[in-house]
Amino acid sequence: MNIPKLVCKNLLRRKGRFIFTLLGITIGMASFVALLSLGGNMRGEVTKQAGALGANLIITPKNWCAYDQISILTGESLPESLQYDVLDKVSAIDGITAVPYLTQKTAVQNNPVLVTGILPGEMKDFKGWELKEGDYFVSPDERAAVIGSSIANQFDLGLNDVLTIRGGRFPVKAILQATGSNDDASVYLPVSVVQEIYDVEGYISYIAAKVDDITRLDSYIAAVVDVANVAVTSDRQLLSSVLAILGAVNTTLQLIAGVALIAAAFGIVNTMMTATYERRREIGILRAIGAKSSAIFNIFLLESGLYGLLGGVTGVAAGFVVSVFAAPLIAQSDFTALLKGAAPTASLDASIVLRAILFSIVISIASGLYPAWKAAKLTPVEAISHYE
Amino acid sequence: MNKAVVKTENLTKTYGNSRVKTHALKSVDMEIPNGSFSCITGPSGHGKSTLLHLIGGLDRPTGGSVFIDGTDISALSDNKLAELRAEKIGFVFQFYNLLQNLTALENVETAMMFKKGPQKARKEAKELLELVGLSDKADAKPFELSGGQQQRVSIARAFANDPDILLMDEPTGNLDSESEEEVLKRIFDIHKMGKTIVIVTHNNELAEKAEMLFEIRDGKLCERERKLLNTEK
Repeated sequence: MNIPKLVCKNLLRRKGRFIFTLLGITIGMASFVALLSLGGNMRGEVTKQAGALGANLIITPKNWCAYDQISILTGESLPESLQYDVLDKVSAIDGITAVPYLTQKTAVQNNPVLVTGILPGEMKDFKGWELKEGDYFVSPDERAAVIGSSIANQFDLGLNDVLTIRGGRFPVKAILQATGSNDDASVYLPVSVVQEIYDVEGYISYIAAKVDDITRLDSYIAAVVDVANVAVTSDRQLLSSVLAILGAVNTTLQLIAGVALIAAAFGIVNTMMTATYERRREIGILRAIGAKSSAIFNIFLLESGLYGLLGGVTGVAAGFVVSVFAAPLIAQSDFTALLKGAAPTASLDASIVLRAILFSIVISIASGLYPAWKAAKLTPVEAISHYE
Repeated sequence: MNKAVVKTENLTKTYGNSRVKTHALKSVDMEIPNGSFSCITGPSGHGKSTLLHLIGGLDRPTGGSVFIDGTDISALSDNKLAELRAEKIGFVFQFYNLLQNLTALENVETAMMFKKGPQKARKEAKELLELVGLSDKADAKPFELSGGQQQRVSIARAFANDPDILLMDEPTGNLDSESEEEVLKRIFDIHKMGKTIVIVTHNNELAEKAEMLFEIRDGKLCERERKLLNTEK
């Protein structure tokens, strides 16, 4: 017989209470881990998309807000509010390569899908796209579609399958090699075709541009602003402003999770206080047969620590399960749509798991301190004279 | 006479606050010789159990001293007192006080885990259950045992760390006569092994068998050494 064995037997003595207390800490930890993992995914995904954008400058209408900027990274459709001639003006600047984006929504098998109007040749060079199968657009106004690999997988589309977009029929010409970015989740048509079928001739959504000399970014920005009445953001600015917003969202999510954890911690305090009272007699017996007050303290603290360990393990597991299932639901909102492509497993690394479990143990031990101190403080005779 | 293993001097215990005071023990001086079999008798609520708790270091006196093997235990720290209880003293209570979620064997083992130094193994715990005639009940939980059996487990537990002194608070007070006989037999067996036994009891028959008899009335020791020690017979 030793103290850990005694503690395990104590924990399992009142199974109902054990399970409910454990459930409290499990739910607290699960919400903490789920929110943390979703938040982490958003961060990672945004950073990845910014890289995949492959642009140094984003040229947008002046009146766009941060939400629109996020949408560039999340791959949502954006209003067609930039005149096409801006592209010509920007492209004319020496040292700048610019490509237009015209984003619209359509439905494939009743699911919303992004349609992006592009300049076929320029976009392929700009992005360095490779084809998985089929042949790329041959002319800049071809009435055909090139699709991203996740679109092909999701809707089981192959070459020559026909997509119906705004009444027009577009055979699939090619499927792009997977890039891991939002490029995989769009249907591409030549920009002139999109303008025609969506009735937005002369307009695009935004422009992405590369510069020849990255050290002179500021002078390129000045040059663009000089020729057109637009807003220019560098990819870094875009990323940092989006991350700042996400940071605020994450902090809020973590605060909510924190409240759940605090509630769970008080559940432990409550359980352990009840145990201290109920087991006064047992404490007295242990003291009478030679247990020091430190041994009683350790017994009670170990019990709460075990709640933390078990609740941490089940909570982390439940949290990841929740984040896997919650991600598609959350992705229905435009703001968090980028989670669509984000596999929650991306955040399931050993250090997060260990830190979450450790955190759970620390919180539980902290919750157990007061009850353990109360238990250890009982004198043997006052405990042993306690009759139920 | 053997050297006193338990000795009290002017032992006083008062409960309550500055307004209401209850004097549970008033200046008790007693000596219990090593290896003796002593009984403490007296009416209920007159301080017998308080005296036993003070001798065993479960409680601290308001005044006076308790000496175990010449050490003034009233001056010991809580931790030292716990060590003393683990090594030198075994307790048996009227209501057995076994840990309900542990088996008979585990109850005995639990007492061993608080002793300093190398701990005895499961084997010794089994031998102790054998000593009290319960080797076949090792895996039984307390609620599966009769009162007498539970008390025998608690005797085995009290004996777990081979203490010099066994303090028993009405060990047969809750038992039928058959169980009582069985429990007393085990107690006498242990006494024959040279252990000092102090029993608080209402049982006159048992008190008759004691080598030393103390009577506590109104917190005072009013009669002592009615019987002579074996060595003086």
